[in-house]
Amino acid sequence: MNIQVNGQRHPLPTTGDATLLHLLRNDLRLNSPKYGCGLGECGSCTVLVDGVAARACVIPARGMAGRQVTTMEGLRQSAGLHPVQQAFLETQAAQCGYCLSGMVMMTVSLLRNNPAPSDEHIRQQLSHNLCRCGTHVEIIQAVKLAAVLMAQAGTADTGPGRADAQVGAVSAMGWPEAASPS
Amino acid sequence: MSRRADSALSRADFHSATGVLLVVREPALTSAVVPGQPATVPANPTEGVEVLIAVWDDGSVTALHGHVDLGTGLRTALTQIVAEELDVPMASINMVLGDTARAPNQGATIASASLQIHAEPLRRAAAQARRWLLARAATRLNCGPQQISSKDGVFSMPQVAEPASLAAEVPYGDLLAGQHVQLMLDLQTPVKAPQHYRIVGQSVPRVDLRDKLTGALVFVHDMRVPGMLHGRVVRPPYAGADHGDFIGNTLQGVDESSIAHIPGIRAVVVIRDFVGIVAEREEQAEQALRELSVQWKPWPGMPDLSDANHVQQALRNNPSTTRRLVDEGDVDAAMAQAQAAGRAMPRTYVWPYQMHASIGPSCAVADWHAGKGDDPAFASPRTADQMAAHITVWAGTQNPHVLRFDLSRLLGLPDVLINVIRMEAAGCYGRNGADDVAADAALLSRAVGAPVRVQLTREQEHLWEPKGAAQLMDVRGGLNADGSVAAYDFTTSYPSNGAPTLALLLTRSIAPVAQAFEMGDRTARPPYDFANLRVSVKDMAPIVRASWLRGVSALPNSFAHESYIDELATAAGVDPVDYRLRHLNRQSDPRAAELIRATALKAGWFPHTGPQQQSCRDGQPRETGESGESAQPSQSDQSAQSGGVAQGNILRGQGFAYARYVHSKWPGFGAAWAAWVADVEVNRTTGEVHVRRVVVGHDAGLLVNPAGVDHQVHGNVLQTTSRALLECVPFTPGSNTVASQEWGSYPILSFSQVPVIEVVHMPRPGEPALGAGESSSVPGTAAIANAIFDATGVRFREPPFTPEVVREALNVPLASVPSTQVATNIIAFAPVQHPEAIAWDNFPWPKRRSLVASGAALAACLAGLFAALLGGRGAIAPVSAAAAGPSIYTAATLERGRQLAALGNCVGCHTAAGGAPNAGGLKLQTPFGTVYGTNLTPDVETGIGGWSQAAFQRAMRQGISRDGHYLYPAFPYTAFAKTSDDDLTALYAHLMAQPAVKAVTPPAQMRFPFNIRPLMAGWNALFHDASPFQPEPAQSPQWNRGDYLVNGLGHCGACHTPRNMLGAEQGGTAYLAGAMVDGWEAPALSNAPVHWDFDEFYRYLRQGYTQHHGIAAGPMASVVRELSALPDDDIRAMAVYLGSFQSKTDTSAQALAQTAVQQAALAATQSTTTLPGPAQRLFNGACGACHHDGDGPRLLGINTPLALNSNLHSDRPDNLLQVILNGIQEPAGKDIGFMPAFKHSLSDAQIAELAAYMRQRYAPGKAAWRDVPEAVARVRSLR
Repeated sequence: MNIQVNGQRHPLPTTGDATLLHLLRNDLRLNSPKYGCGLGECGSCTVLVDGVAARACVIPARGMAGRQVTTMEGLRQSAGLHPVQQAFLETQAAQCGYCLSGMVMMTVSLLRNNPAPSDEHIRQQLSHNLCRCGTHVEIIQAVKLAAVLMAQAGTADTGPGRADAQVGAVSAMGWPEAASPS
Repeated sequence: MSRRADSALSRADFHSATGVLLVVREPALTSAVVPGQPATVPANPTEGVEVLIAVWDDGSVTALHGHVDLGTGLRTALTQIVAEELDVPMASINMVLGDTARAPNQGATIASASLQIHAEPLRRAAAQARRWLLARAATRLNCGPQQISSKDGVFSMPQVAEPASLAAEVPYGDLLAGQHVQLMLDLQTPVKAPQHYRIVGQSVPRVDLRDKLTGALVFVHDMRVPGMLHGRVVRPPYAGADHGDFIGNTLQGVDESSIAHIPGIRAVVVIRDFVGIVAEREEQAEQALRELSVQWKPWPGMPDLSDANHVQQALRNNPSTTRRLVDEGDVDAAMAQAQAAGRAMPRTYVWPYQMHASIGPSCAVADWHAGKGDDPAFASPRTADQMAAHITVWAGTQNPHVLRFDLSRLLGLPDVLINVIRMEAAGCYGRNGADDVAADAALLSRAVGAPVRVQLTREQEHLWEPKGAAQLMDVRGGLNADGSVAAYDFTTSYPSNGAPTLALLLTRSIAPVAQAFEMGDRTARPPYDFANLRVSVKDMAPIVRASWLRGVSALPNSFAHESYIDELATAAGVDPVDYRLRHLNRQSDPRAAELIRATALKAGWFPHTGPQQQSCRDGQPRETGESGESAQPSQSDQSAQSGGVAQGNILRGQGFAYARYVHSKWPGFGAAWAAWVADVEVNRTTGEVHVRRVVVGHDAGLLVNPAGVDHQVHGNVLQTTSRALLECVPFTPGSNTVASQEWGSYPILSFSQVPVIEVVHMPRPGEPALGAGESSSVPGTAAIANAIFDATGVRFREPPFTPEVVREALNVPLASVPSTQVATNIIAFAPVQHPEAIAWDNFPWPKRRSLVASGAALAACLAGLFAALLGGRGAIAPVSAAAAGPSIYTAATLERGRQLAALGNCVGCHTAAGGAPNAGGLKLQTPFGTVYGTNLTPDVETGIGGWSQAAFQRAMRQGISRDGHYLYPAFPYTAFAKTSDDDLTALYAHLMAQPAVKAVTPPAQMRFPFNIRPLMAGWNALFHDASPFQPEPAQSPQWNRGDYLVNGLGHCGACHTPRNMLGAEQGGTAYLAGAMVDGWEAPALSNAPVHWDFDEFYRYLRQGYTQHHGIAAGPMASVVRELSALPDDDIRAMAVYLGSFQSKTDTSAQALAQTAVQQAALAATQSTTTLPGPAQRLFNGACGACHHDGDGPRLLGINTPLALNSNLHSDRPDNLLQVILNGIQEPAGKDIGFMPAFKHSLSDAQIAELAAYMRQRYAPGKAAWRDVPEAVARVRSLR
């Protein structure tokens, strides 16, 4: 039983109630995913699982066998900051910064699904990532700038887990065809 | 490369260093005792002078300030100030904030005073250091100081003289080599004039963001120390109380054996009402927190605070001392006159308890070192470290020196042996649980003698953070005949906010005495010139544990002032902005008038003398503005409303408010000025208020970091909007403890509610910088209330202005029809036809024996009974384990056996929680008693290792164990009997090839007469048909294959078919008609709004979820996981068979699904249960991130619309409650995702409210569930 985190393989615990968040923070010593509520309500622990935004605090670590997980630490590219990180830096989109990693990871995820999001789409996608400091205005600016930087980089996003980005998340009324019985 | 500025970790390090210039000051050795204010903490003389600035010989600079950065950007602004006065690059400065071993003691970080007041010594120190260095540079460069310029840490002299080789530059560090210079702070040192600023006044990036964006160590939550253990605390039941004799006296007992099964537990620490656990791993500590059995004694409870009326009453009942702050003119005479003329306007405003609501629950790490004073190994000379116990605490505190004092009292250690290192924490905007958790960590670290990290849970932070206090503002006032203000008699009641650190109370290190401070007077004087003015404060002890929260007491006071002046303006028939300007004292406060005008201009303020767009219930608008875009509703709007969603039911309004935040001890001093224009929309149907736009005028004098101030204003606007619209601490009826433990029950503003914000900064570069961390929040709530009044004509005086409050006040008579009726009318699509409705007589229902139908069976029954009395069946001789070993079977047989075991989900019933697969021990509750899954592994003694294949076959087909005793039909041999010989052989082979596990199965505990096993012979005679499987010739081979799988090893009916009084599955149309199993409902297939068909069955069985019915959870999740071993053909066959029992409809499933979702959404606006309110907010906050109709975030996992979920359409709430309480940790398949258990975070009452809401919201055509609270308690007790 292994998990891949930021491109590195690690063994998974076979017993105990450790969450993915415990594993990332305590065993792998990654600081960016933060404990906020333990209920998936606030989004400060958001990471990517197989390229899809996920709340690490509600996922049992032992349920992550064979999965690829990306934290904010794993976004950094050889050239420096990931365009989304760069955009948050340029727009100064943090006050205390506790929710920052979750906002960044949600942004990476939302731009993968919609490289040119409208304001409405951004608000919708971030609507369950909470910020107490009231940095929302700057964060929306950051997401828009990130979309521009990503487009300029041309890449698009080649980050970890990209190939699997379409698997797993199923929004309402839009189901995957993968499991069609015919 | 390390720089010297980072190297000094204590004052001693600074004082003993060479190559450094220090600017120091004498510490305040005695704390000034100010009546009515909390005591400040004096400095300890043994620590010597306080260091403010250290310039090092490598050019780096340490700057030290006693306040901390709460996320507002203080670190950046202070760095700018030091860089400016010293002329060094910002990057060369290490800004140390708060650490008690190094930073000066400047009290708590409060009152927006960090820049305005407390930066001044630092600024002067920096300037003084530069002057000293300049003098040295002049000597070095051999010129006058006035000839030298400085920039980026280098002095330079213009190249005017020859020869050019003369050194014309000298870096600061070069002037310090080998020296130790200490300057005493001279507060008269000249500082730069603002026109010479190069760094201050510029928008600079925050110095902390890059680290935060890359996951560097910044937050206390991320602090790790070698050997660190993990701690959790168990809090007492009196959440929110901080005084009364029961505090520290309520613990009855702790049963440590209750967590003996959890590995890694290092200590349980109990000191009176303080209970803590230390474990090696964090999840172990968390599990122990949930499972430690702690008994508490009854305690008296707190005053009723269940709604605004009760809060008001509690404040009126709380003993108080009245303090008169202002008494000018003759208020009583003026009021008597106004009263006589009928122009008196008494008003009451009530502020609720609110939370700091930090996103990160508080955390701290403590590292205790026991004293070595008695250890002979430490002979003299001893260092202080060796002599005495000491402790280091990493904390996110707002007041490090006060915390150190508290820790000193708690631990009995001198303060100098306590090192509080301040690290960043989640934004708190007041004192949250940071100090509490630091003290908790200190106690636990001392108990185990190792570093301990304590993380408060979300629940604990919500319950125990000291709240922002409620407040009551009474205004007696009125108008003169000319519309001027007759009198303003303002009384504010503020329950105090001392909030002693919790561990001090719980351990009774201090007495839990209610203490009244003088704290309600901030901005108590209105900013207007009233001839007859009286201002009084009722100082009172706390009711609920409280601390300062952004805009402490000023924000509520200002809400009253600015609402009241709006009421006066309306009564006087004057535009609210004009009325304010008339009453402002323009001589003493010209900046206020300019600000108000500039803000109104920017916002496009439209002068008006009454509410511009009020509702017109009687069709006769009272007053209308002349605004071209007036949304005055018409008669037709009214009629449209009663029929559904109204057109034009959005009312718009604009509101104004102004305040200068005056804080600290009365009369205090002013921070920045702020004015708001809020534009709101009020939805008359739902009562929702949306703040569309806020224009904020702000005068903070010089802006040290304009971008930083801008962000602060944005943050203030959004936080205030959140507080005004949403925030109110709920209390539990009865005990009146804090009821909210998560975000659903205490929502804060989300991205979808964020207004457009425009900021007008008044250009005041020559004026001193004023505090900007709170000011712009102060007028906000009144501006929003005034805007709602403008939109609706209704005045709201008790925030928050939630939809239910607004709806009730507007009293729009819509959707008054009972919700179920409305819903029935709306849900017009064709319901799924139930199989019974169709002629199914000739359908090949699975055969069941019937008591009435078969006389032969009756005879057999008697025979069986007789046989039973004779002692049952014989044993089949055991075989040796070796003989039964796997070697004789082929790999293909073994593989087939593995699949069959999966089809039968043997592990589901034969594996205890956390136990070895198939080793038995799972407890199964039946209506007839309790049985335990047996050990199916080939262990000879405790499992089936001694079973021959014949014995196995007999058990599977006849329900008789190898030794001859009868098995209970909880083991579904009634279905397994249909299994072919070949398949039983393969299954036997597989089971015998498993690893043997020795595990004794507990004996069954059945009620009489079921505890007499031989009687099962009679039961079998009545109900068990052991005949082999017979295919239906009229059906396809695939159908028959499905029949064989579903009704044989698959034993679907064992859970899904209801049973008769004797526990036998019923026949005919009762087949798969739904039943309760082990606390879960195995649902009928007819509940859902969309019919089941082949596709849906296939998806459900193959992947654990479907497009139109939700996901498999509970016991069914295990079934689906097991079915993954089966080939696709078998799953298809099962789907074909099951699908044949479903009626066909003409409407496509997709269309039915979409209709159901849309109609449920529409029905939601028609029912009082589902209109926006506490239940809707609870759902949205707790569930909405993952469960939405496409209008929320895309997250890992399946989000089948809840309107399609069978469990919401069932007659029973059990499955929904099971999932809410226990979550989904082991989903049926990879795509499904995970769900947390809410049992620790929501009370029974909250879950009942949530379930009732979900039923009405997502199954509007179904009757409300009855007795939901009882059902919650029942389901909660199952585990």
